[in-house]
Amino acid sequence: MSKIKVIPCSGIGKVFGLLARESVLMVTQEKCPNETETFCLAHVVTGDDEIVDKIKGETCITMDGCAKYCSKKSVEETGGIVVKSHKVPDFMKAHRGEEHGTGTYLTEDGWKYAEELADILVKDVKEVMEGVKVNV
Amino acid sequence: MSDKRIGVISCSGEECVGGTISRLAVRKMMEELRPGIVSTLCLPLFIAGDGGEREFAEKYPTIAVDGCSKCCAKRAIEKYSSAVAGSIDVAEIIGQEAALGKPLSTRNLTEEHLAYVKEVADKTSEIFDAILVK
Ligand code: SF4
Ligand code: SF4
Repeated sequence: MSKIKVIPCSGIGKVFGLLARESVLMVTQEKCPNETETFCLAHVVTGDDEIVDKIKGETCITMDGCAKYCSKKSVEETGGIVVKSHKVPDFMKAHRGEEHGTGTYLTEDGWKYAEELADILVKDVKEVMEGVKVNV
Repeated sequence: MSDKRIGVISCSGEECVGGTISRLAVRKMMEELRPGIVSTLCLPLFIAGDGGEREFAEKYPTIAVDGCSKCCAKRAIEKYSSAVAGSIDVAEIIGQEAALGKPLSTRNLTEEHLAYVKEVADKTSEIFDAILVK
C-alpha cells in the first residue's frame, strides 16, 4: 500500500490554517512518517500532471481551516479519494476561550490543540491501515 | 498614505522549507512591513471558493510569493484569476538547496530561517512599493 496522503489547507489569514498545517506536519514528520506523506496544496491546485499522478486514485485525509474545505475540494477535484476530512473548528468546543495564536505563530495552547488534531489524524491513519470502513 | 491595496499571495507550500518561508514572508508584510495595505487570500480558494475569489487579481495588482521554482502560486493565480503584477521565487533568493529542504514547522524555525523570511519579505516589499507608486 502506498503512503496515505494527509493534506492540510494552505489557510494564511487566521490561526486555523496554521493549526491545520502544523497538525499535518506532526503526523507526516513525527507520528506516522512511514505510513503518511503530504504534498503542497498549492501544487495540487495547479493540476500539474506530476502532482495529479501522485494523488489520483490514492487514499487521502484532509484537514481544513474552515468550512470552505479547500483541501478536501481540491484533492477530490484532482482525483484523490478523500476517506476522511476534518476542519479545525470542528474540535474547538473543548477549547473555547483559549488563545491559539495567529496565522504566523501558535501559542502554548495552540500547540496543544495542534497535537490533539494530529492525534485525530493518527487515529484515522490507523483505521485506514486496518482497513476499517470509515465515513467521510 | 495611499489607500491603494496590493495583493500578496504565498504558495504556503507544505512540502519544503521554501513554502514555509513564503508564508511567513507574506505574514511579515501584513503584520510589520506594510500593515493595512496588503490584501491576501488563501491560494486554494481560487478553485474552491464560490467565485468572487477569482476576481482577486483583477481587483488588486497581485504579487505571487512562491517557495520554489515550480511557482505554483503564480501559475494558479494566472490560471484562475489574472496576470500577476510581480513574483518572487524563494529558491532564487535563499538558494535551491535551502529552499528544497524538508518541510519546516514553525516550531523549528532557526535564526537562519528568520533571516530568510526577512530577506524574502524585503524583496517582496521592493516590488510592492514599485507597484504602489505606479
Ligand atoms: S479551508 Fe478556509 S482557511 Fe483553509 S485555505 Fe480554504 S479558505 Fe483558507
Ligand atoms: S512553489 Fe514549490 S513550495 Fe510552493 S507550493 Fe509549489 S511546489 Fe510547493
